[in-house]
Amino acid sequence: MKKLSIIAILSAGAFIVSCSDVKRKPSNVYMPDMAYSRAYESYAERDSLVFTTDESQSDAKIFYNNKPVAGTIARGEELPFPIAKDATGDTVNYVASKAVKSPLDSIGNKDLAEAERLYLINCGICHGKNLDGNGPLWKDGSGPYPAAPKNLIADPIVSVMPEGQMFYSVTYGKNLMGSYASQLSRKQRWMVIRYIKTKQAEAKKPAAETAAK
Amino acid sequence: MAFLRNTSKFFLTGIFILSGFLVFNSAKAQDGKALFNANCASCHKMDAKLTGPALLGVEERWKGNRKNLHAWILNSGGFLKTGDAYANNLYKEYNQVQMTAFAGTLDDKQIDAILDYIKVWKPAVAVVPTGGGGEGESKDGSLLFGIITLILAIVAFTLMQVNSNLKKLSDDKEGIPAAEPVPFWRNKAYIAFVTVVLFLIGGYYTTKGAIGLGRHRDYQPEQPIFYSHKVHAGINQINCQYCHIGVYQGKQATIPSVNICMNCHMAINEYKGEQLYNAEGEEVSGTAEIQKLYKKAHYTPGKPWDASKAEPIEWVRIHNLPDHVYFNHSQHVVAGKVQCQTCHGEITAMGEVKQFADLSMGWCINCHRETKVQFKENGFYSIYEKFHEDLKNGKIDSTKGITVEKIGGTECQKCHY
Repeated sequence: MKKLSIIAILSAGAFIVSCSDVKRKPSNVYMPDMAYSRAYESYAERDSLVFTTDESQSDAKIFYNNKPVAGTIARGEELPFPIAKDATGDTVNYVASKAVKSPLDSIGNKDLAEAERLYLINCGICHGKNLDGNGPLWKDGSGPYPAAPKNLIADPIVSVMPEGQMFYSVTYGKNLMGSYASQLSRKQRWMVIRYIKTKQAEAKKPAAETAAK
Repeated sequence: MAFLRNTSKFFLTGIFILSGFLVFNSAKAQDGKALFNANCASCHKMDAKLTGPALLGVEERWKGNRKNLHAWILNSGGFLKTGDAYANNLYKEYNQVQMTAFAGTLDDKQIDAILDYIKVWKPAVAVVPTGGGGEGESKDGSLLFGIITLILAIVAFTLMQVNSNLKKLSDDKEGIPAAEPVPFWRNKAYIAFVTVVLFLIGGYYTTKGAIGLGRHRDYQPEQPIFYSHKVHAGINQINCQYCHIGVYQGKQATIPSVNICMNCHMAINEYKGEQLYNAEGEEVSGTAEIQKLYKKAHYTPGKPWDASKAEPIEWVRIHNLPDHVYFNHSQHVVAGKVQCQTCHGEITAMGEVKQFADLSMGWCINCHRETKVQFKENGFYSIYEKFHEDLKNGKIDSTKGITVEKIGGTECQKCHY
């Protein structure tokens, strides 16, 4: 009897010690019907017996795919880009995008500050906060990114690239750069491009002035 | 001896000549390095494929024909039309992505400098990441304290027994008749003491459990892919909003979709940083986790990626408020200018994310009582004219400012409606 109780105490102690303190399961909830939404919340999985993302099944089930209705434009958003993505091995549309003009007339200081904020969040990580192609992911080649990001100021191609072609690259991606269409709205993309163009013009000005002297 | 001196002299001169040659060579290659980094590195790496092929040994592959190589670099489209078999195969292998024409950007001399640099290039000596220290034994002393308390309790109990035995002995000696000894489990004082202790312990855990209902502090679920915020947001300094785009725009901070991961991971296909550990302290292979992402994205490195084929990753949501509470991220981040870390903790140091705050109502209200809103130069609060006036003529102490409570931040219907 004594032996048995000693064994029991020792094994209980070992069990308590071996218990991980990582909490992998959520706690219990008091009144779950008030805590968990009956309506479909963001990221909640939809019941596949009721909903479908396949348009051909829209007679039998409720069709819903999270996308805006084709042909609609959100308030405050710019008109869609008129040029489609090139097929593999083709550069026709990429070249044609040079002709597209930016819908922004002139950019005010307030918008420029917002464009800078967007640039630093989305672009600066690779292209650098000074637009010199040396962001934290490249860091002179010691960062994790294997390809050198373009130097937006000094690169002979990008520094003279028309806004429309830059918009094409930001929207559809170019080489190793991905598409930013899901992160930036069309208006925001045009704003960021205008910001880059403003910085490029600023960088060229002092050089031209010294050359004139 | 003389022989030795001679050989050493010979070696010295040899080394001298060799190093001179190297210095000369590397001076030339330095130039090539700068040109390579500025013009080629966006699409080419020395020892791995990117958009274009690895450049190590490029001259051998072109059979040492620098003339063709120059023509290719200056205008690859034009060179393809000459029908060169190797060039055309290369074009097909790399998904028919045409190489940028460098005519007008690079001259023949510069191309030669780049090619010379490629010849002398050596991989950098791999820096072995010094073990970033696993979790290690936690320095939690509670177990030690428990053992010490137990030992002390046993000692005290033994001493009490010894004391009563000695008293009995001395009583026997002095001839005082001993009272009937009561065993400790029938001793009323002992029973009362144990009851009180059990009541306190039981009460403590019952109350704690009841308060903890519906609170998920320290909840740290296992995610489908081991994604380290420490590596991404901490070491690599990616802004929170790069992935959580909704935080400025709406109620949800939004969990990033696969294409946002792929913006970087189309190129970054291996993890080379310090060793990763999960919350249990087990080693995690970063490269294997990136492969899990590729599987979900249906991406093969080196092939063009069709984003429409990607499947969503089912991340486990950690921070969840009950349905009867309304919380909006943009209101706190844009108007309130609250830092992410205020509610989510030192996220840039978390390998696996856990819930930092208990997200209870007391916690919300406390913050609303103490936090001053940025009242000045904030268009969102311009309608509170009375407060602005009072601030101006000193009726409200401007050092104390306006707390969230003052503008109705503790009213029930602000969050419950």
